[in-house]
Amino acid sequence: MSLAEEYSTTDGESRLSQSVTHLKRNRRAYLLIAPAAVFLLAVVGYPILETFRLSLYRSPADSTIETFVGLQHYAEIVNSDIFYRLLWQTGRWVLAGVAGKTLLGLLIAVHLKGDIKGRKFFRTAFLIPWGIPYAISAVVFRWIEHPQFGYLNAVLLKLGVIEQGIGILGNPDIAWLGVVVADIWIGTPFMAIIFLAGLQSIPQDLYEAAAIDGAERWHQFRYITLPQLKSVILMATLLSTIWTFVSFDVIWTMTGGGPISTTATLVIHIYQVGLQNGNLGLGAAYSVIGFLFLLLFAIVYLRVYTRGGDEL
Amino acid sequence: MTMAGHGRTSLRRVRIYGVLIALLGIMMFPFYAMFSSTFKPESEIFSAPATLVPSDPSVGAYLDVWTQTDVVLWVANSFVISLGTVVLTLLLAIPAAYSCARNDFVGKRTFLLAVLVVQMFAPVVLIVGLFDVITQFGLFNTYLAVIIPAAAFTLPFNIWMLYGYFKTVPVALEESARIDGASQLQVLTKIVLPLTKPALVASITYTFLYAWNRLLFVLTFLTDSGKYNIPRGVFSMVGALQTDWRMMLTVSVIGIIPLLILFAFLEQYIVAGMTAGAVKE
Repeated sequence: MSLAEEYSTTDGESRLSQSVTHLKRNRRAYLLIAPAAVFLLAVVGYPILETFRLSLYRSPADSTIETFVGLQHYAEIVNSDIFYRLLWQTGRWVLAGVAGKTLLGLLIAVHLKGDIKGRKFFRTAFLIPWGIPYAISAVVFRWIEHPQFGYLNAVLLKLGVIEQGIGILGNPDIAWLGVVVADIWIGTPFMAIIFLAGLQSIPQDLYEAAAIDGAERWHQFRYITLPQLKSVILMATLLSTIWTFVSFDVIWTMTGGGPISTTATLVIHIYQVGLQNGNLGLGAAYSVIGFLFLLLFAIVYLRVYTRGGDEL
Repeated sequence: MTMAGHGRTSLRRVRIYGVLIALLGIMMFPFYAMFSSTFKPESEIFSAPATLVPSDPSVGAYLDVWTQTDVVLWVANSFVISLGTVVLTLLLAIPAAYSCARNDFVGKRTFLLAVLVVQMFAPVVLIVGLFDVITQFGLFNTYLAVIIPAAAFTLPFNIWMLYGYFKTVPVALEESARIDGASQLQVLTKIVLPLTKPALVASITYTFLYAWNRLLFVLTFLTDSGKYNIPRGVFSMVGALQTDWRMMLTVSVIGIIPLLILFAFLEQYIVAGMTAGAVKE
């Protein structure tokens, strides 16, 4: 930053020569970041541009000829019913998922916080669902929710909650709930670990003072824990929102977006249109809409992250 | 402490452990369903309603799985993809992170922020563009088609993690080694990297897990079943009409065993990596 200020005080010509001197002096520094920078430009930057370009062309799967169609794909999207259905389905998926992960993660963290024997064991055990392949978690939940042979039905029958087995994933009304449960299971450990770290950084004397004042447990949670944890919760739920929004493997493995597209979210639709049906142009246009959502999340995240002019 | 007070605290402890064990039970239930099913014979797996405890436990599935599925191939491919991603990511991340930690140059802030934005950019919204690029470069159906995108999306975490740690290594330590005649590379490998071991382990574990666990890239860029990894292999066993649940769940168990070993030994590094971004000191 200080370098930029230095430049602004000088006139154009010496600014150029100063830049050259700066480049020369820091030649090694630039050479060392170059491979990573070029790599990211090629593998992330270029496909982003390519997505924008593709969204303006019609490129059928069975031919290599691309026809320029302008904004036609975007017009097609905003005039289609499926788009609004996708927004609604993505919205409920993200809301239910993030809420479930946050509440369950908070519940685990609050109970792991104190002087717990075997905390390392508990922490490792709670971590595992986060660290195994999503596709494996997905098939295990498919198995648990199996309409005939599933463990869920067996448990519910034993408890007398239901009288005969129910098929969750085949039912358009509740299939998304069957999938979101798996996503919550996968995403909860991250929240629990983050909240636990946040809780452990709250000064203990705050609680001691409250205990002297005779504050109830719930009041301690409400008036000390929650306010102290606010920024951590904000950061974690933001990250979780992004990850839940782009969750692909779980939905794809459990239902492939079905039945009758009721478990499809925006990213599932991108994959179906762009790669499964081979309509790269329309798929790219949907991807650009996905970019916009991510951009929104990223702006909010960066604002929170760099708040108060923190050093990088 | 008074007797009454003591009684209340121990009651509280019982309640806390009670809740913890209940939560653990819920979180572990899917694993129980997976493990217990693999010890059932075929006839019992397909009995309704499901038996919650195998009535006649057998290890038959673990004997059959080697010949009835390609699990060995999938595990081997998972290792190739994961290790390849780790190597490529570190080769790119270490110099970049070191450069940013040691120099102040125009564009550094932009570079680090751009990297952070990539972290937030999910592969799935880029998959259409990536597909186009991967085919343009003729990488389709090669391991690199999976390793390259995986490295790109793990690079941000690695750069930030290592950058944070490199900054904590005193410059004086490096200078004295330089005076003793060590080359720049020697300083990095002999002094800086050993001092930043926790960050390296966290980075490597994160990258390894990322590459091991993801289905999307393999699903999209590898149609050659000889190159399937564990997630893709499991996915391929999901049948439209019929699924061999016994074999599929057994493959799943085998596919997560290397990860369980990793967790048992490296849990603290994984946790350190997870909390690095979200919890600020």
